[in-house]
Amino acid sequence: MSENQYKIEIKNVSFDYIDKKTKFEALSNVSLQIREGEFVCILGSSGCGKSTLLSLLNGLNKAKSGEILIDGTPINGPGINRAVVFQHYSLFPWLTVKGNVLFGIKQSGKKYSRKERNELAQHYLNSVDLGGSANKYPSQLSGGMQQRVAVARALALESDILLLDEPFGAIDPRLRLELQELVSRLSVENKKTVVFVTHDIDEAILLADRIVVMEPARIRTILDIDLPHPRVRDELVKRDEYEKLHFQLISSFYDHLTETIDTEVVL
Amino acid sequence: MSSAVAKKNILHTVGGYIKSFFRLEKGMYIELATATVLFSVNIILTLNMPYFTEHKAIYESTPYIVLLTIAWLLCAIHLFFSKKKSASDLSIVIFGFFILWEVAYKLGWVQNDLLIPSPEGLFHVFVEKNEEIISDVIGSIQLLFIGVLLAIVLGTLLGLLAGWIARIREVLLPISNAITLIPPLMFSAYLIMLMPSFRDAAVAVIFLAVFWPTFQGTVSRVGQIDKKIIEAAKTMGVGTVGMLFKVIFPYCLPGIIGSVSRSLRGAFMCLSGAEMLGINLGIGFFIEKYKSFADYRCVLAGIFTVGVITTVIDIIVKKIEKKVIKWKD
Repeated sequence: MSENQYKIEIKNVSFDYIDKKTKFEALSNVSLQIREGEFVCILGSSGCGKSTLLSLLNGLNKAKSGEILIDGTPINGPGINRAVVFQHYSLFPWLTVKGNVLFGIKQSGKKYSRKERNELAQHYLNSVDLGGSANKYPSQLSGGMQQRVAVARALALESDILLLDEPFGAIDPRLRLELQELVSRLSVENKKTVVFVTHDIDEAILLADRIVVMEPARIRTILDIDLPHPRVRDELVKRDEYEKLHFQLISSFYDHLTETIDTEVVL
Repeated sequence: MSSAVAKKNILHTVGGYIKSFFRLEKGMYIELATATVLFSVNIILTLNMPYFTEHKAIYESTPYIVLLTIAWLLCAIHLFFSKKKSASDLSIVIFGFFILWEVAYKLGWVQNDLLIPSPEGLFHVFVEKNEEIISDVIGSIQLLFIGVLLAIVLGTLLGLLAGWIARIREVLLPISNAITLIPPLMFSAYLIMLMPSFRDAAVAVIFLAVFWPTFQGTVSRVGQIDKKIIEAAKTMGVGTVGMLFKVIFPYCLPGIIGSVSRSLRGAFMCLSGAEMLGINLGIGFFIEKYKSFADYRCVLAGIFTVGVITTVIDIIVKKIEKKVIKWKD
């Protein structure tokens, strides 16, 4: 047991897409260890392989080489030990908001009575501030509300691990902040291990215990964020560490660019 | 005290509802009045206009008047519910048509009494052949119900499987494409001999008419399902059976119900055809029988009945669709 002190262990994982005979290397020999209860943000510009890495974690794609261990066991396809929130709205349109959450509860495999299930669904909806919209259909909700339901549905699976793939990318900035704080709070409350993919530096600083910065196909650098939780955006921006982190991240973000276009960049 | 207030409130809202129900635009009152006048003209013509030529048969006018009254009531109800001008336009067209028919008949413009009966004569059939029509209609609907239900259930099941599993789809889709090109009615001559009874043959024809289109419709709807929804279901640990019945089936349900009214129409057409081709049951057979007796009054009444049944079925299916499907994509 002592060997498997990591919740998630990504070991020398590679993956490539084949499109009309041309091979595109999305991930090359990536390794990463994530401890239980840790909130890890994977940060990178589009096309760097961060979403591919998440698709390997959630099991929708299979690594070409290497393996991913969860609690010491290699994963084989999707499973309910990992709950996923996608960037796109992926609620079931034929179910009500509550129906969607109930679906998650039923999939969790736990044996609840009908009454318990209903109470639990209402509890998860309340925790994302949607208790009043239980009987609405997804098409009646705004994008932000739909993502909240998706978060509630993911929590309902009762898995230890939460995987989020740019979940708030399509939501307007003011609402996004609200949702970020919600996820931060809920992940601590529910003791989840979280992998959160984003291209937003501020989002990563606000949420993460550790930020994994990716360059195409590889991990460029890993930063520990030692700011206390819960973090509030307005207070965060006043702190010196924030400035420093922000600068660090931006430079590591654009390092790669400067190499490729061979010019000096002044930040 | 509070209950009295509540009572008053309820009365108020009910009153408001009734008021808004009867409130029509000014132009609409005129249209309603026009329809009512035309309806009255119809009644007066029917009861009081003398025949200007010699006709062989003069029928009692009560069934026809009852029908006109039903038509007028339906028009008025439709007008109040939809608040659309077209509702009364429709009644004007219908009553205008009946006035023309009545007048033309009584003035003797119609020479062929056998082929074109008076409206009274036509609707008198429903009194004369009362039991026969009812039992034939029930017979047709029973056959229709069994055949359509069987075809939709099996067609949907196979469609879900073929839609989800590519290997099944690649075998069945070309076959179904070939079969659906043959009008199902063409099979009936053979099916009548093949099947143990006329009833079974009729059910088989209906089944053929509905099964393959349902199958194809389901396959294409499964193909249209959003990949994101499938992925979300997969990450929640949904297996093949769950995917088919908990995800794909509910997603396809509106399409399936939407195709039911189309299927029913097609099935009814095939059934009527099959009945006319030799299956001695049902309303199609009724038409065929009186055609051979050269009783075109009954033939027309049969055709009218088919129209009424298909319309009623259509309305019922649409109501069910509205009740069952509350979500939008």
